[in-house]
Amino acid sequence: MLPLRELQLRFCAAVFDDALDAVTPWIHGDEIDAEARVSIYRHNVHEGFTKTLALEFPVIERLVGEDYFRQLALLLLAEHPSRAGNLHHIGAPFSLFLRRRFEGTPYSYLSDVAALEWAYQESMVAAEVPPLDLDTLRSVAPHAYEQLRFALHPACVLVRSAYPIVRIWTTNQQNVGNEEVIELSSGADLVLVRRADDAIEFRRLSVGDFTLLGALARDTALGDALEAARALDPDFNLGAALRRFIALGVLTGVRISASTSAAESTSAEGAPQ
Amino acid sequence: MGWFEAHSENYFAAGGSQRESLERIRADYALSLHGVGLSIGSTDPLDRAHLNELVRLVRDFAPMLVSEHLSWGSVGGRFMNDLLPLPYTEEALRHMVTRVRAVQDALGRQILIENVSSYLQFTCSEVPEWEFLAALADESGCGILLAVNNVYVSAMNHGFDACAYVDGIPGSVVKEIHLAGHAVNRVGRRELRIDTHNTHVCDAVWDLYALALKRFGRVPALIEWDADIPALEVLVAEAHKADQIMETCRAATA
Repeated sequence: MLPLRELQLRFCAAVFDDALDAVTPWIHGDEIDAEARVSIYRHNVHEGFTKTLALEFPVIERLVGEDYFRQLALLLLAEHPSRAGNLHHIGAPFSLFLRRRFEGTPYSYLSDVAALEWAYQESMVAAEVPPLDLDTLRSVAPHAYEQLRFALHPACVLVRSAYPIVRIWTTNQQNVGNEEVIELSSGADLVLVRRADDAIEFRRLSVGDFTLLGALARDTALGDALEAARALDPDFNLGAALRRFIALGVLTGVRISASTSAAESTSAEGAPQ
Repeated sequence: MGWFEAHSENYFAAGGSQRESLERIRADYALSLHGVGLSIGSTDPLDRAHLNELVRLVRDFAPMLVSEHLSWGSVGGRFMNDLLPLPYTEEALRHMVTRVRAVQDALGRQILIENVSSYLQFTCSEVPEWEFLAALADESGCGILLAVNNVYVSAMNHGFDACAYVDGIPGSVVKEIHLAGHAVNRVGRRELRIDTHNTHVCDAVWDLYALALKRFGRVPALIEWDADIPALEVLVAEAHKADQIMETCRAATA
């Protein structure tokens, strides 16, 4: 008798690797033969994966059409099968998958739209964290500003694209007539995706704001982050930017540290946990 | 509405509005957490990350019932995210008993195990599904979530007697009943019933439900209608019908 593990591995090969013969000898057949019975499960797996991906990437599905979306979903399934009992995560590699597939083609924007849709999904389910208290920042001695490192709200995601992805996303919502023709060259987007009162907001940022936030998100010290922002926007106003981000709840924690290593001793300045 | 059941995995998220909705429901109603992704029957090591999420959810929501399935859905790290049938062998029983105990230990409480609809049977099975399920409950201490629709679907697909299934489950271990609608597909000259949860409960399943109530008494029953979701009135009418059958059975046995 086949051990349980061997039977399961063979069943899995039938579903994922089209090796139906691997398991059919251990399945009863009658008027419906063993192959047709395994195929029902394979079909269910394909449909479940495709349906979940379509729920996570409705704009991509609308842009490429249902049939082609299904083909893309099955290619993704072959390369990146689900690794968890919770299907939510299957969309994580989709943007990168599309980039590799369409790089250098007129469809290279699809990868960026997918990145925006995945950011939307991630933002929806991220933990809630209270915003940074301005008083916490006021208590920092001026000479220490350069060494400040900030924590961003878990629901904040930054997406950069050479294409007008926010307009593409908005125009392709179910309740919007998509008669509009969008020139792909009509603008690049630097987007902050954030959650506000349970709705997801796409906020286009200036190059200075985006560069600063991007650096802070990578745990860069404020001094270096500011330098990066000023390199692209010489008139960048740091104080105004920080007040804006705190008001939006984008910044949620702060600490002083000369090193990026978390193992270094840090002096917490009342960063809310 | 008497109580609500939620798919556990839909609330694994750290935050967001979905979790808040469940908190509002829990404030006013009893809740059952019904998992579909733990892959209890898999021969891979138990997914500790998944189990830890479930432990956290159970701690946060204090549900009246926690359930999973008599199935597996992953092996070698690849997840099919489907409820696949097991072979009903001694080896599989030993494995399931160990796994159900591990889950109950982690949660610090009893779980219910639900029978699934199946479209195939393994040639190595040694006992009928109901004997396997009854033995699992006896040895692991789990309760049974008897899905009457799944009993009927599998009985029709594999040609066994649905009533024999119900009669084969000990009266005291069934803690919840599931009702649902299914589809009838045609494969060549044969009919194959597929568990779809997208339509009304059929008459034969209502009859089987009445039989189950006689045997198992007044246990919470749930209508699973989670695809092609109808107007609320339609769903409420279906739940009302389940209540009426329960009242009729109680009057008959009183």
